[in-house]
Amino acid sequence: MDVLDLARLQFAVTGSLHFLFVVLTLGLAPLVAIMHTRYARTGTTLDERMTRFWGQIYVTNYALGIVTGIVMEFQFGLSWSGLTHYAGDVFGAPLALETLIAFFLESTFLGLWIFGWHRLPKWLHVATIWLVTITAYASAFWIMVANSFLQHPAGAVRDGDVLRLDDFGALLTNPSLSMALPHVLSAGLTVGGFVVMGASAYHLFRKTSDQELFSRSLRMGIWTAFVGTMMVVGFGFAQFGPVTSVQPDKFTDRPLAALGLGFMILLGHLLQLIALLLVVVVKWAPRWRFLHPLIVLVTPLPFVAAILGWIAREEGRQPWMIWERLKVADALTPGLTQAQITLSFAGFVGVLTLLAVADYVLISRIVRRGPDEIALGEKPAPAPALTF
Amino acid sequence: MEILWFGALALLVAGYFALEGFDLGVGLLLPVTADRDRAIGAVGPFVLANEVWLIAAAGVLFGAFPACEYALSANYTAVVLLLVSWVVRDAGLWFRRRLFTRAFWEWLITLGSLGVCLAWGLLLAGLAGFSFPFGLLYGLLIAALFVMHGRRFLDWRLTGVGTPLVTGALAAVPALVPLAGMAGAVIGNAAPSATLTVLTFMVLPFVPVMAGAQIWVWKAFGKGPVPAYF
Ligand code: HEM
Repeated sequence: MDVLDLARLQFAVTGSLHFLFVVLTLGLAPLVAIMHTRYARTGTTLDERMTRFWGQIYVTNYALGIVTGIVMEFQFGLSWSGLTHYAGDVFGAPLALETLIAFFLESTFLGLWIFGWHRLPKWLHVATIWLVTITAYASAFWIMVANSFLQHPAGAVRDGDVLRLDDFGALLTNPSLSMALPHVLSAGLTVGGFVVMGASAYHLFRKTSDQELFSRSLRMGIWTAFVGTMMVVGFGFAQFGPVTSVQPDKFTDRPLAALGLGFMILLGHLLQLIALLLVVVVKWAPRWRFLHPLIVLVTPLPFVAAILGWIAREEGRQPWMIWERLKVADALTPGLTQAQITLSFAGFVGVLTLLAVADYVLISRIVRRGPDEIALGEKPAPAPALTF
Repeated sequence: MEILWFGALALLVAGYFALEGFDLGVGLLLPVTADRDRAIGAVGPFVLANEVWLIAAAGVLFGAFPACEYALSANYTAVVLLLVSWVVRDAGLWFRRRLFTRAFWEWLITLGSLGVCLAWGLLLAGLAGFSFPFGLLYGLLIAALFVMHGRRFLDWRLTGVGTPLVTGALAAVPALVPLAGMAGAVIGNAAPSATLTVLTFMVLPFVPVMAGAQIWVWKAFGKGPVPAYF
């Protein structure tokens, strides 16, 4: 593989890994926030255990979201400096806003939530998880603004051989953004709903001790998956209008993009059907044991659909980095050597893949062990004597 | 406005060195620390709020000084080392109590912390046009300052003795010196004023929130029992 192929593959693999964790973060954050709010109101052990169990899964998933995200951010500067050179004055703005007014706050509030158990006043502690949720959605918004600019460079004018920001509002009302953003957010809800369903079904099937907790979680998962799939399919079809208005031949002569699109839609309909059937029997689903293995089995499908969606969107953009303005090949950092890209490929893809596997092992272990062994929000041991 | 944004960049980088400096220092100290649970517990609640200063600094670089981004690709190896080490350090914190043995992840925390310090030495020296060996030496100097800072932080947090303020200011010096030297070049390469105006209007209302959130972390976790999540 030459330098360009490696740089593209590096971005595609790290980006896909990043999104696998991000999409679950987006779906779980509001659910954990709702659970925590309920716990703050009722104060029952059941609500506490539920919040801590799903919160632990959320936080464990989040860890990989952060580390993969760090690599994503810096990759623009490392391997794609041609993009910054050509359009940095425009493209840099949403990325800067994402880090400053979204992720900076998200990370700070998440620390307050994780470590704030038994320390922050009850309602302030609840406020931190809502702030984490809001800032996570704000992050998604700015990243989608940046991505949409690559699909359709709205709001910029050519000035010599570079692009300049002309109309910031046009960046935010980009046709490539309007339906894609709600589509991605509902993909998050779909993933979150199916994961909550899957893990709950596992415990219900195994008849572990927390039947009530997981019955409730299963119902919450079913409702979330129902709302998520309805919206993801609705906004999915709604995307065709705006997308083809600015990228008319996006899916016509790009077989890989079309393949991704086709399978995503297939999975979308399947998931929608599953969620619809389950919502009809939501009252009995916790007791119908034959359903539970099936629910566990379909848990990975929305993740697959989400990655296929990105393949459709990004492969459909090729060979352009910025649609009909800048080619991917011309965005590559000039003078990037085979040795350099091989080094970073091995470092980023190797390390992040290993960590992603480790994280999924850990998440499935947390699910298997259940709410009895949750570190998040554990009562602190009595303070030891001050020795250091 | 260019000067304002350069100020923001310098503040974020200096803040990163002063804050993340003690996390990395404690990471470097782990092999000689008896009670590692308490040492990691002391820095734990601060790590997420500290490391994000560098992510924000990179955001300012991309948004306000995109033409300076070549600084990253021009120091490719150093930046890759920085990122991989950072990722490994973070993974050590998240997984230490949960996968394999604690010792394995503790070594990775120390190695990752060392890698970050060396990478900073190489990167900052590279920007100023110095040679590779000089960069390594500069990295070791940074590591030494961070160790001092980490030590002060643990004293202050675990026994209530002293303050990490002085070592924090010292820890920021290795970043501020090269930044000051490059100030003219960076400011001269700022994004056009249309971009800077938008950024300023969007970010300004959030500055009090960002400052408030950071202060809240210090108020909440500066005292009391050491939490045991990491
Ligand atoms: C019948 C169902 C669906 C339809 C009609 C649909 C439609 C679309 C279209 C047209 C795009 C490409 C937009 C572009 O190229 O700019 C897209 C992208 C995407 N899809 Fe779907 N989709 C469906 C189901 C799903 C499901 C179930 C998921 C995940 C749970 C998903 C996740 C995504 C993601 C993450 C993207 C990339 C970002 C975006 O463009 O929004 N989609 N989808």
